[in-house]
Amino acid sequence: MNLFQQLHLDRARHQTRRHFLQNCSVGLGGLWLASQGHGSVLQKDPANPLLPDLSHFAPKAKRVIYLHMAGSPSQLELFDHKPELAKLDGKECPQEYLEGKQFAFIQGVPKMLGSQFPFHQAGQSGQWISDRLPHFETMIDEVCFIKSMWTDQFNHGPAQLLMHTGSALLGSPSAGAWATYGLGSENANLPGFIVLTSGGKNPDAGKSVWGSGYLPSVYQGVQCRSQGEPVLYLSNPDGVSQALRRRTLDALNDLNQRVATEVGDPETVTRIAQYEMAFRMQIHASDAFDLKQEPEAAHQMYGTNPGHESFANNCLLARRLVERGVRFIQLFDWGWDSHGTSAGDDLTNSFVHKCKQVDQPIAALLKDLKQRGLLDETLVIWSGEFGRTPMKENRGGVNGSFVGRDHSPSAYTLWMAGGGVKRGFTFGETDPIGYEAAVDKVSAHDFHATLMTLLGFDHKRLTYPYQGLEQRLSNVTKPSRVVKEVIA
Amino acid sequence: MRRLLLALAPIPLAVTAAAEPVDFNRDIRPLLNKNCTICHGGVKQAGDVSFLYREEALGKGDSGKTVIVPGDPAASELIRRIKSDDPDEKMPPPEDHPHPLEPEQVALLERWITEGAKWGEHWSFQKPVEPPVPTLKNSAWPKADLDRHVLAKLEALDLAPSPEASVAEWLRRVSLDLTGLPPSLEEWQAFQQSAIVNPQSAMSEAADRLLASPQFGERWASMWLDLARYSDTFGFEKDPHRDIWPFRDWVIQAFNADMPFDTFTVKQLAGDLLENPEPGDLIASSFHRNTQNNTEGGTDDEEFRMAAVMDRVNTTWTAWNATTFGCIQCHSHPYDPYPHEDYYRFMAFFNNSEDVDLDSDFPRTKVADDPAAQAEAVRLEKEIRRLRDAINEEGKALAAVTGNWKTFTATTAKSSGPEGVLTPQSDGIIHASGTNPPNAVYTLAGPAMPFGALQLDILMQDDDPKTWSERGAVASKLEVDLVKPDGTRQKIAFKEVVADFLAGPFDPNDAIRDGAPGFGEYPMAQRPRRGWFVPEQAVAAGEGDQLEIRIHHGAVCNANNQSCVLTRFKVSLSDDPRLVQLVQAPERTALWQQHDVLNQQYNAIPGRTIPVMRERQPAATRDTRVFIRGNRMTRDALVKPGIPAITGGPQGDAPLNRLDMARWLVGDSNPLAARVMANRLWAELFGTGIVETQEDFGSSGLAPANQPLLDHLALRLQKHHQWRLKPFLRELVLSASYRQTSKAAPELVTRDPKNQLVARGPRQRLTAEMVRDQALRVSGLLSLKQHGPPVYPPQPEGIWRSVYNGETWKTSEGEDRYRRGVYTYSKRTSGFPGFLTFDMPTRDVCSPRRVATNTPLQALVTLNDPGHIEFAQAFAKRMSGATLEERLAHGYRLLTLQDAPAPVIATLSKLHADAKADYETAPAESAKLAPTPDEAALVLVANTLLNSDIALNR
Repeated sequence: MNLFQQLHLDRARHQTRRHFLQNCSVGLGGLWLASQGHGSVLQKDPANPLLPDLSHFAPKAKRVIYLHMAGSPSQLELFDHKPELAKLDGKECPQEYLEGKQFAFIQGVPKMLGSQFPFHQAGQSGQWISDRLPHFETMIDEVCFIKSMWTDQFNHGPAQLLMHTGSALLGSPSAGAWATYGLGSENANLPGFIVLTSGGKNPDAGKSVWGSGYLPSVYQGVQCRSQGEPVLYLSNPDGVSQALRRRTLDALNDLNQRVATEVGDPETVTRIAQYEMAFRMQIHASDAFDLKQEPEAAHQMYGTNPGHESFANNCLLARRLVERGVRFIQLFDWGWDSHGTSAGDDLTNSFVHKCKQVDQPIAALLKDLKQRGLLDETLVIWSGEFGRTPMKENRGGVNGSFVGRDHSPSAYTLWMAGGGVKRGFTFGETDPIGYEAAVDKVSAHDFHATLMTLLGFDHKRLTYPYQGLEQRLSNVTKPSRVVKEVIA
Repeated sequence: MRRLLLALAPIPLAVTAAAEPVDFNRDIRPLLNKNCTICHGGVKQAGDVSFLYREEALGKGDSGKTVIVPGDPAASELIRRIKSDDPDEKMPPPEDHPHPLEPEQVALLERWITEGAKWGEHWSFQKPVEPPVPTLKNSAWPKADLDRHVLAKLEALDLAPSPEASVAEWLRRVSLDLTGLPPSLEEWQAFQQSAIVNPQSAMSEAADRLLASPQFGERWASMWLDLARYSDTFGFEKDPHRDIWPFRDWVIQAFNADMPFDTFTVKQLAGDLLENPEPGDLIASSFHRNTQNNTEGGTDDEEFRMAAVMDRVNTTWTAWNATTFGCIQCHSHPYDPYPHEDYYRFMAFFNNSEDVDLDSDFPRTKVADDPAAQAEAVRLEKEIRRLRDAINEEGKALAAVTGNWKTFTATTAKSSGPEGVLTPQSDGIIHASGTNPPNAVYTLAGPAMPFGALQLDILMQDDDPKTWSERGAVASKLEVDLVKPDGTRQKIAFKEVVADFLAGPFDPNDAIRDGAPGFGEYPMAQRPRRGWFVPEQAVAAGEGDQLEIRIHHGAVCNANNQSCVLTRFKVSLSDDPRLVQLVQAPERTALWQQHDVLNQQYNAIPGRTIPVMRERQPAATRDTRVFIRGNRMTRDALVKPGIPAITGGPQGDAPLNRLDMARWLVGDSNPLAARVMANRLWAELFGTGIVETQEDFGSSGLAPANQPLLDHLALRLQKHHQWRLKPFLRELVLSASYRQTSKAAPELVTRDPKNQLVARGPRQRLTAEMVRDQALRVSGLLSLKQHGPPVYPPQPEGIWRSVYNGETWKTSEGEDRYRRGVYTYSKRTSGFPGFLTFDMPTRDVCSPRRVATNTPLQALVTLNDPGHIEFAQAFAKRMSGATLEERLAHGYRLLTLQDAPAPVIATLSKLHADAKADYETAPAESAKLAPTPDEAALVLVANTLLNSDIALNR
């Protein structure tokens, strides 16, 4: 059975479960879907808008785990090996690199800065990598690098929005919202799109990076937490046991059934179903987020510490959620903005520390997914929102004592693994100093078109009417192409 | 497999009968828009074919064939291409359009062409005309003309209205609709008594009481604040606090005072431009300062100023005209006849305000703590500006006639920046390059000459005005030493700086005082600047004397990160003594003293400041140019402020400003605003707009379900009620249409799921605010305290985690914990969780419609949120009675106004008994909810009631 047939079967199974809807016309799906006069609005069941749905063609990836390094790690310290840049280290930046460029912090004429760490080739595939990610390196043959990513945004907020929603301005749905809108969720008892954050902060663009934009709000990401209640208000209040909760829901169902019969509003029937789903979610989400259920070996492998907020915990949670059929899991790890204004944000101290925080858990996640046979159908994505300059940042026009790099929209590295992408493969190149994507450039829109393809959609046909246009993740007003070269 | 992509067909409210002629707007335009205009419309004219205008559609494409031949479908290329089987010819092209036209649709197009291919202006561009009162079979049902238009539609479709709702159903509905709160039991009992005597007058009185209630404004403000994208924070990355709540209070007060909507509009869009503003008018103009402000380090202030200006354009068109005007930012409108240039003509109305995305939120106005002092604050503010302008203008007039300017030639020029370079050129212009940090000091030296004025020209990097948009350049302090041949120095004391114009956050005189900033363009330079530095005494200079000029910098832009140093500038000197004489004159000194006194008086008024709209002086007017494909970096022709002709804007050469624009918007020539507002108010009460797409009245939106009704209501609001909302809403809630019961047979629900025909009464889920406010009211916790800073009801730990932002949620104490939802702190990047779950928008941008969803996460909020448990605990305490059954019945009545049916009492009694039994075996658990197991069980009952469908709907 291929994934397409599997989805078909899943959908049929779910449909038979809809015992709450026997009196409810399915055609009422338009009740709250902002239906428009035209366009390919998906037909959704109001009582279960996250019901698994079919894609346009057989998907290569059933689920996505997207690891976003908020702040944007330096490609020049991790994956983009540039011996030419090393030769220019300390020299004044040539004027040609500055003309027509806008920087967030660099002023006047900065100095060039070679990579701070040595590079070598690793794995069977012989891909270049620095010495900062020794654990990740062991999985490098699973990974497909795109070294020629570029964007037109050089500030965190807008660049993160572009990377996640296809638009630098607020108001568009995120990739996860599109994925759950298109494919629904395989687990009716958990949100279909879950967001986990680490690093102590939300991403710079706030919660809009997992928003549903103009799509119905049910497709927005649900921020879950590895500390405290995993989902807001998931736990029963103090003094209310699960048995008592069941009793209250039974009484509530009695009341609501009466109203449903008397008033005839189909929303009442839907509400009954939603309360039941909330009840199931209480059990299933608590279970999914209980890291203590994992054996010691798993904690060793990931470096996890249950009960605390950490990127490692989020990686292990991501695997547990993937196992349970959550469609899209978005991790944000904050603290990668290595400007070099102090030891707290430089390449020598802070960056080294951040690498250590993510190296082992990412390697463990890839290894664990592979061992469990989940990697083939789970797409893992790693990226920042832009790259870093090959020049040393000189904030305030001063050559500071800490080493860092400013934001650079012209080139950055993204990698993917599993879920139908080529293994041990590198696509695209930057110029000799890693400043601009030079060969096989890939924009955020191209990346989105490719992502939708891996999920089984024609990116031009999964659309939603808004502001007079058939909107899509790959941005209807911008050029985009499917990067077929990275698809296995 | 295909089922996934089935288009959601609109409910066929208007069926085209075979005998009925084809109507272009109803039948044809939607087909063309859906299938053709994307490629053959305002954006693209593939093959030189467009379906936007009739003359174009009847013309020839690149192929030389006539697209549409009226009366002859067979000769029309349109039909031939649609019917073609050749994939290279077939329209729409099969590879991009998986869904070809249905045979009925092709037949419809053919019929339309046969009937002459008649065109029609899109309905919403035609001014509303009062429709004739329809003749009806059932003349007893209607209570007002609006009912007659509703009934006419029902009779045409062989439907009948539903029976009248019970008085309890009506009172709860109308109370929540008009005030956002359910009636108290006392209000209900009083109403019930008088309704027995005379239901009609009881309802009228109840409507009057609700409309007069101070809570009315709070409920309707929630609607308006979505459109105003009101929030208590800036938005974007750091998302810091913004003090702008006086605007929210102004909106509440305006609704309570029943300010006519035209006045309400003009004050918000142009209150700052009114000749004699009332004390609240400047606060009202903060409407368009609710745009986001990006304080992320290194963000281009001009980029986000433009984003705010464009947001103002889009918000104005969305909120008042339900038009997707943002479409024409990059190109002509794809479906509607708005040319690309119209966007920039309209943008020019907003492109000249002083705000520039500064962290300070400049400009700001004072809101006096004592409302009685507000008029004086506004008067002083205007007077201070007027006087300061007059002082500068006097100097400028003299500077204009000052002669004998000689360029200062620098023989040496150095920057204090170790990597900065200054290069004097032969024309005296000095060019700066390399790295000049924000505090760089430029030192120029050259031969001295006698002078009475020093002229500083701050030049742009290029002399072509189209390129004029670059980083600001501010001389923070200018110092001049006269250096004698023996090396002794005489420091020249300056008295004043006269500027070419006054604009921006700094006073030019800062450039001769210590401390940043100073004189120049900031944060973005959009034109060269000229300032005249006038010494206290004329400066004499002898042979061999040198002048040393030091220009200090200090201003930083782009969220305090990029330096605003001069990059190209020139210094000239004149020995004309008249400017020195002017600044020495006692009359001028007196003016300055008066200016100081006014400032002292202004500063002495206790209050806070909020961001406000303020227009730049005529001399400082920003150029507005068409952005090629919407890109602000590629600027084209200059445009003047203007309003699209299709929407009745005044044409001709007379100059227009923002105030004229606001008056047009609510004037007689605009065909849209009255319909849009009437539709919005209708939707608030009836659940769905007559035009369901409240945000889009263009041809890409949905057609009105009942246009005579809409036009009647629009004119009723605008003309009969002179834009007053209260009498208009009174008519709606007393209408037979609104008074119907919401109970409906399944066939009717299936036929008209959104109740657009109004064959039954409205039933809507409570809004986010109402869910909270109702629970507060029935639990007796509600505080009716009005106005003031936002409050912080309990929310879970760790919700606010904006980067570089130390602000925290400090849970309010005392009655502020129980205030209405409209006062809850609204943070853009991290909204109040319970509200977001119930579909409150984030207020990032104008939100014209909340679509109510129904999700499990909502159940978790109302079941488990500790705040809602607190409501249940208080609610349980209010349920009084001698027996359990009496208490349950009392609780049910408090919530629903109705007597609980026996089975409901039975269900609740059983829940109570079961819970009580459980709690008796677990006293520790019980104690967490209430002192005794009996009371704890009642808390669970209260929580259940508050979660019931009957409670969550109105």
